[in-house]
Amino acid sequence: MAQIEKKSALAIQDATPIKLRHKLEQSAARFAETGCYDGITELTLKAANPLKYESLHTRLRSAVVSARETSKRISASPGVREVGECVVGLYTPEGDSVVFSFGIMVHVHTLSRFIKWMIANDYEDDPGIRPGDIFANNDAFIGNVQVPDVMDVIPIFYQGELIAWAGAVCHELEVGGVTPGGDVYLAQERFTEGLFICAEKIGENDQIRRDYLIRAERNLRSPIYWILDEKAKVSACLEVREKVLELVEEVGVDYFKRAIKEYIEEGRRAHLERMKIQTVPGRYRGATFFGHLYKGKPGVLPMADKDQLVPIPVELTIDRNGLMTVDFEGTGPWGWNSNNCCEAAMEGGFFVSLTQFMDFDGKVNDGAWLATRLNLPPGTWTNPDSILVATACSWALLLPAFGVFHRLMSRSFLARGFKEEIFVGQVNTPFFESGGISQYGSRFGGSNFELAAGGSGARGIMDGLDTGYAGWNPESDMGNVEIWELSLPILYLGRKIWPDSAGAGKFRGGTGFTSLYKIHRTPLLTLTTAIHSGRVFDNAGMCGGYPAPTALYHYAVRNTNLAELIAAQKPLPHFEGDPLDPDPKRLVQGDFEFSEGGYIGRPFKDGDLFEHFYNGGGGYGDPLERDPELVRQDLDNGIITLRAAEQIYRVAAQSNDGRQHTIDHVRTDQLRTAERNQRLAEGMPVREWWTRERERICRHEFVPEVLEMYRESMRLSQRWKEEFITFWQLPADFSF
Amino acid sequence: MARPSYSTNVIADLIAGRLPWEQTKQIMSDYKDADRFDKYLAVLQASVPWKEQILLPIGEHLYIVQKGHERVVKCDCGQEFGDYHQNWKLSALIRVRNTPASLEPIYPGPRKPDANWMEIREYICPTCATLLEVEAVPPGWPIIFDFLPDLEGFYAEWLGRPLPEA
Repeated sequence: MAQIEKKSALAIQDATPIKLRHKLEQSAARFAETGCYDGITELTLKAANPLKYESLHTRLRSAVVSARETSKRISASPGVREVGECVVGLYTPEGDSVVFSFGIMVHVHTLSRFIKWMIANDYEDDPGIRPGDIFANNDAFIGNVQVPDVMDVIPIFYQGELIAWAGAVCHELEVGGVTPGGDVYLAQERFTEGLFICAEKIGENDQIRRDYLIRAERNLRSPIYWILDEKAKVSACLEVREKVLELVEEVGVDYFKRAIKEYIEEGRRAHLERMKIQTVPGRYRGATFFGHLYKGKPGVLPMADKDQLVPIPVELTIDRNGLMTVDFEGTGPWGWNSNNCCEAAMEGGFFVSLTQFMDFDGKVNDGAWLATRLNLPPGTWTNPDSILVATACSWALLLPAFGVFHRLMSRSFLARGFKEEIFVGQVNTPFFESGGISQYGSRFGGSNFELAAGGSGARGIMDGLDTGYAGWNPESDMGNVEIWELSLPILYLGRKIWPDSAGAGKFRGGTGFTSLYKIHRTPLLTLTTAIHSGRVFDNAGMCGGYPAPTALYHYAVRNTNLAELIAAQKPLPHFEGDPLDPDPKRLVQGDFEFSEGGYIGRPFKDGDLFEHFYNGGGGYGDPLERDPELVRQDLDNGIITLRAAEQIYRVAAQSNDGRQHTIDHVRTDQLRTAERNQRLAEGMPVREWWTRERERICRHEFVPEVLEMYRESMRLSQRWKEEFITFWQLPADFSF
Repeated sequence: MARPSYSTNVIADLIAGRLPWEQTKQIMSDYKDADRFDKYLAVLQASVPWKEQILLPIGEHLYIVQKGHERVVKCDCGQEFGDYHQNWKLSALIRVRNTPASLEPIYPGPRKPDANWMEIREYICPTCATLLEVEAVPPGWPIIFDFLPDLEGFYAEWLGRPLPEA
């Protein structure tokens, strides 16, 4: 293969190929004209020899899957090695995705944006695109989700012509931001997010430049992860290049060039066909909300020193052609915090949702993307009108937003009869980030990646996945405790199912879990958490299911008597226990702290405690319809408490040993009948309620954060304002 | 591609969650069955105590049905919620949890949302008292109209047959 590359490098001197930018423009024009990707109206290769066509696709896909496995062995980061926080893909010369591996598939489309950005910005002229070049990026406004997602691409040349790109992304555990770790909680504008690589040529002749590595070494708290991840990504790209060139030699370059585009057009057609098979045309609506709690927290800059409630209304329309449009009209503004998104991130979030819902087999690529539309109103958190906005924790609202999308799609599956595909949606995955002095006495920054295993939303015919789902990485894994204890100065006193963390329903959401850490062998640990809402739930139930009680708070205990408790062999806390009297407070003496929202506080040291929570998913269906036998199993497995069984599910249960439970079915029937009667007694006709609520609106009888939320949505969207006024039958000039 | 077909009994068990997981997984991983919608409707129609024709399910207990010349939303208990172009929630009962005390049974202690920021709205069938939908929204948020189907387009262009008439 080295010979092929050398030949390619020489050939480019004489060739006068069509500019990539021109190809990109031509491709877009052909799509606009024909409605088919790159103007491919007939799948001629597929028709001529389907076996050859499918064989090449399978071998290309094998190449990227295999390359990802190679990269995981080269990476030093437990995020990549343990949890698989990486992805590898192959792209057309214009930057459209052809095939990709498992892993963080959100980046399939962000890589596409990155390549197209370089082409549109004339990188062919300066800095040049040549065989052996390596380009990197982690700038969300060029094509990324957040600063820790660092992506590399290399061009693949054959006889002087760029015929494809190979790309790879790894999520970094530390990016050198104002607070340690990858998801920089306290980033409030771009300049505090950490080390940015902005579509930069970081290597030539298949070698990463030394000065680039020096920059990483001097600007990161734990540079080894970043640097070895770079080598992992480049090796993956080189492996893909080798395989592609082998296949090109075998099938011929013209066949390859046509085939990779037919795969995309086939993906586009397949998506539209699936829409007609599985969904129902119409308009679907939902909403969720996110609470930013920054007021008075340490390190918050003056412009960010506020609490804020952000609405996330989502409208999905499916037209008679099967074209779906996802519309965020009415959502809130971007803010001086780390939780903003940009178009590339929203597209990535949309794409990874599609790959799990509709486009999970066959030709999974940018074809599906071409069969959809997104409306991201400028000025909102989905599409800030400034590139100086921080996006370090952009998953915070992105995950709940596409959790709504999951529910909207699920409604269409319900209508069409595919109840087994109903999924009440992804939930947020709260991040634990830390930095300071490691247990080995060196500087460090990093996170444990156990968040990659939360609870999923319930499904239409069964419960959600317990501690086994993350929307951004379908290959979900929480990693072994021992790995995180090796890489961070923490010891786990417990990692356990968080009882009652699943949203209740006929089918409950998947349960979340909680980890209680002893800060271990460090004189200085800065600790933050990110990507979870405060004061409001950022998930929901469906068809009578309740939202999960998402992680809204943390427990910290400093200056503990833990050493004395251990020496005396007295009981230690292992998890929250009773939320009304939590174990970290009940069993340990020290300076107890209850904190709501994202965590930032005074540094920790050896012997301190911190408890962090991971979310469960929303429920499906009326909890009174839950089979009491399932309630009994949940009690036995510690997923729910007796309190929840009685007060939510109205199931009478008891236990003699706290482990095995029995159900009193007669009493359960009585409890459920009583609850139904209570609903009828306490329920009010909605039209009466509407009249009462309207008066409240006219009196502006809301707390300041709610009033500001309405003002901002009305400022950003005339359409949303008009719908609000229409629904409540308010004067046309109404305002808050 | 050859699309599978399953018996009405299998579909009935599948949508009720009674089918063994291995069989469910096989169905989920296979191509989607082309006749699912009709068998789904047949199973649902057989399960309700009334005669109006189900045109489209829109919730766990709610259906758009043909009633004379009208198309209305109907609960499987028989309760009707009016024309499907209107949000059925407007004809339901509502119970709102918007105080710490009313949120406490579902979300004890610190697990509850701030009642000033978010309320839990429960939409209840006035006849059978089933909890049909739950909304978690700030006070003042307009009631969400979950689903307005394009019934005519769905039947005529996707199912290839006219929408049933009275």
